[in-house]
Amino acid sequence: MRRKTILVVEDGTEYVETFRRLAMPEAQVDFLPACDVQAARRILSERRVDGVFLDVVFDRIPAGNLCGNLEPLITRFAGDDARAFDYLARNQGFFLAHALAPLIPPGVPVLLAYDFSSEPARLAALKTRLPRLEGVEDGVPISKVLERLLR
Amino acid sequence: MIAAALLSALLAASPEEPTRGDCSTDAVALSAEAEELLTGSGPRPAAATLARARELTRAARRGAPSSALSLRAADLAFAAGDVEEGGDLLAAAAEAAGPSLLSPPELLLLARRADERRRWHEAIRRYWDLSRSLAAAGKRADWIAARIRDLEVEAEAEAVAPPSAGPPIEARLALADGKRALAEGRLREAKERLLLALRLSPGYVEALLALGAVETRSGRSAAAVRAYKDALSLEPDRVETVTALANLLWQEPDRGAKEESLALLDRAVALRPDLRSLLRLSASRWAEFGDAAKALERLDRYLQKADPREREELASLRAALARRVRGVKEGGPSLAQVPAEEPTSKAVDLWRKAQVYVGRGDPESLSSALPLLAEAEKLDSSLARAPELAAAIHERRGEWAQAEAALRRAIRADASRASTYESLARILERDPKRFAEAVEVWRKAEGAGSSEALFRLAQWTESAGRRSEALSLYRRYRDSAPAGLHTAESVAAIQRLERRRKVETVTAVSGLGLMILAAGFAIYRLNSGRTFAEWLTLRPSRAQDVRPLMGRLRHEALKHGGLLLSDATGRLENGGDEVRRETAELLLARLYGESGSRGVIPEAENALSQLRSLAREDHVRLNLHRDPIFSWLLRGIRALRRARGSLRDIAESGRASEQVASRAARLLHRGTQCFRLASGAEIERALDRASALPVRVEALRALLARVAEEEGMKAPTLEPVGVLALHETLPPVRIPAIDWETIWRNLFGNALAGGRARGDSVRLGLLAQRRRDPITGEARLRIVLADDLASTLSPAQIRSRPADRGWGVIVELLRRNDGAFDVTAPPAPGFTKGIALDLPALEEPS
Repeated sequence: MRRKTILVVEDGTEYVETFRRLAMPEAQVDFLPACDVQAARRILSERRVDGVFLDVVFDRIPAGNLCGNLEPLITRFAGDDARAFDYLARNQGFFLAHALAPLIPPGVPVLLAYDFSSEPARLAALKTRLPRLEGVEDGVPISKVLERLLR
Repeated sequence: MIAAALLSALLAASPEEPTRGDCSTDAVALSAEAEELLTGSGPRPAAATLARARELTRAARRGAPSSALSLRAADLAFAAGDVEEGGDLLAAAAEAAGPSLLSPPELLLLARRADERRRWHEAIRRYWDLSRSLAAAGKRADWIAARIRDLEVEAEAEAVAPPSAGPPIEARLALADGKRALAEGRLREAKERLLLALRLSPGYVEALLALGAVETRSGRSAAAVRAYKDALSLEPDRVETVTALANLLWQEPDRGAKEESLALLDRAVALRPDLRSLLRLSASRWAEFGDAAKALERLDRYLQKADPREREELASLRAALARRVRGVKEGGPSLAQVPAEEPTSKAVDLWRKAQVYVGRGDPESLSSALPLLAEAEKLDSSLARAPELAAAIHERRGEWAQAEAALRRAIRADASRASTYESLARILERDPKRFAEAVEVWRKAEGAGSSEALFRLAQWTESAGRRSEALSLYRRYRDSAPAGLHTAESVAAIQRLERRRKVETVTAVSGLGLMILAAGFAIYRLNSGRTFAEWLTLRPSRAQDVRPLMGRLRHEALKHGGLLLSDATGRLENGGDEVRRETAELLLARLYGESGSRGVIPEAENALSQLRSLAREDHVRLNLHRDPIFSWLLRGIRALRRARGSLRDIAESGRASEQVASRAARLLHRGTQCFRLASGAEIERALDRASALPVRVEALRALLARVAEEEGMKAPTLEPVGVLALHETLPPVRIPAIDWETIWRNLFGNALAGGRARGDSVRLGLLAQRRRDPITGEARLRIVLADDLASTLSPAQIRSRPADRGWGVIVELLRRNDGAFDVTAPPAPGFTKGIALDLPALEEPS
């Protein structure tokens, strides 16, 4: 049986570590970490992945590495650069999903670390671009997340 | 032998003769007739002859008493076998004419006769006479000196009071009642009960001591002195009695009483050399009495074991005494001897003799006393005083084991004697390892009526920290021994403990008050303050500041915590050592931020701290403990914090016990449950309830009418544009009502002002569009206010306006509420432009 590969995009190493140590450590899974959109793009272009996990908040990487067009945000926030950057960092997972969507094969599950349980329409709207996008509800254990990534 | 030979010769020279008659009163004639009668009867006179001769001689003595006739009569009495009368006559002759008249055998006869009759002093005198008589004849009789020494002991022993029997139970009960009444201050009743005890048992020392205490407290010092003296006569070595009496006598005005007091005090010092305070007291009283030499001698003895501070304190007194000393030394007054009583038994005689030896105090005498006491104990095992005295001798000789054994025998013989228990307790106290045993014996002594025991137990309970019990014991001692050895110390201790009790009471009351205040404050703190929802309801404009903070809390704590905790708990519960260790390491890093990771708990606490700071800026105390959402989060954090130690043990040891792993798992499980209850969605809902605003066209029309009225203008119609219906329900937007109204007031004001400037009414239209952010997918509402005014401002120009008025206010409020602003093309014919507001909206129910 082929080993599965999961791309984990996060600004630290917490998710990868947690996946490796807690989520079915006996499973035949490789976790490929990526800390920004460039790294994720590189992996997706070089490797076949069986699942993508996206963190949402990226406040530990340089602002220049953040994915997303800053101009409209600065306009939106009335020229407030700091607020625009903060918004971008706090919602980086969404921007990543948007940017990586063309590179992710349609059948590959994508889990975004965001709880859509009270915003189903929002998830539905995002699924138009990534049909297998799912949210991660608060309180869900990491093993369940991995199960969903490997489905 | 000499007497026997003499008597034989006399008998041989006494022939039996017929009598002449008894009528004559002439002593010479009568005597001559008697002699004639005897001469005629040969060496062995008949009994009748001898009797007649004795009658004649007796008659002659009546007529003219003389030593010679007495001696002759004695001879005849002895010859007749009447030793009793013979002895009496010899004694009478000796008394009348002196011992030199008698021969050594006669003197011996008299000495032995007195000896047999236990007339010790007479026997001693006769032996001395015999000794002198023999010495005059050039003969030695060493045995006489030894016998005299024995007789002297006997004579002294006779003066010793016999030991009293143990008091009957009725007397002991009366004593107990009396002491209780004394302790409660019912002095009259106490005296009645104690007198009853003494009637039932006249030699009951404890009752006498208690009576002394009653009389002292009643102010009848003479009666108290009598009671103590009676007690002392029965137990001369009881230091409690000696000191009580000494103190009482010292209070008397006459000098004789004071002298007696001083002697008693010296005796107490001799009895209890370990009580150094007695020496100091003795020194000061001798000094007060005016005998500097004795005072100095006692002070020097006291100073031998004094510490430097005491030496310094007493240096001036010593110097003054030394100056006054003239070298005169006086002997202390002697105590009156106890009247002799008839001996009760051989055992008692032996005990009395031993007492005399002990009184002499030299090693030889002490050695002589022990066999006597052993014999006495053997003869009468109930004679407790015998082993007790033996114990005293052993104590003096430092033979502690023998002393203890003797005292235990004494207690077995008579368990009612307090002094025996006291002595035993003091011996046991010498060994620190037997302290508990000593305390037990002191308790028994107290039960037997010992005041000393009360004091010692008081000291012990005080040192053991049982101050209330100690206070009670000190009080009992003070009441039962008002002139006792430790009265001053007891009074001081009572004052000290009462002061301390007062302080403790005040402290306890204050502490209790503080605790009540603290509890009240804690209850107030727990129940006061505002919940998260209450705060936001009060200050809805805070929602925009709080929202990113809550987003972080939700993501970093609730989501990451949830992802981590369930699986980690399972691995701790079911994994092997290595799995547990790895899991614990991961949890330490991820929960607490060890090893440089971002910790769930620090993140959560940081977010909560910032939340509280924001509330404080609004002068609101945020009470998250009574918050229905955040209280669970706090409980979860607390549970996880408590798990840290166990997790560290597991991570560091690698081989944690099941108990440690189980505890860690239990706490993690609790934390997980609490985090689940602290729903992130509920936090969002609370934010939206406080700050989301339903958008209604009718409400905007009403606002336009108010603004126009304020401007003194006629309100234009606000036309729905496009598909917007008049009564359509639009999704609520995330903006506080006050901001919303301010924005629209400014927009309407600008439009109305533009119309006024143009000189006619402005046409206004309203368009609403639901939309989603193309990237984040979040719901937004775009509302466009269309007008027919000529536009001269670009969006960039509008954004650059000052934030405190007009367009600048609108831009600033939108920025704060995550909104956007734009100037658009006219949304419908008849309008020249549109002012578009783009605001985050709530998800509509599907």
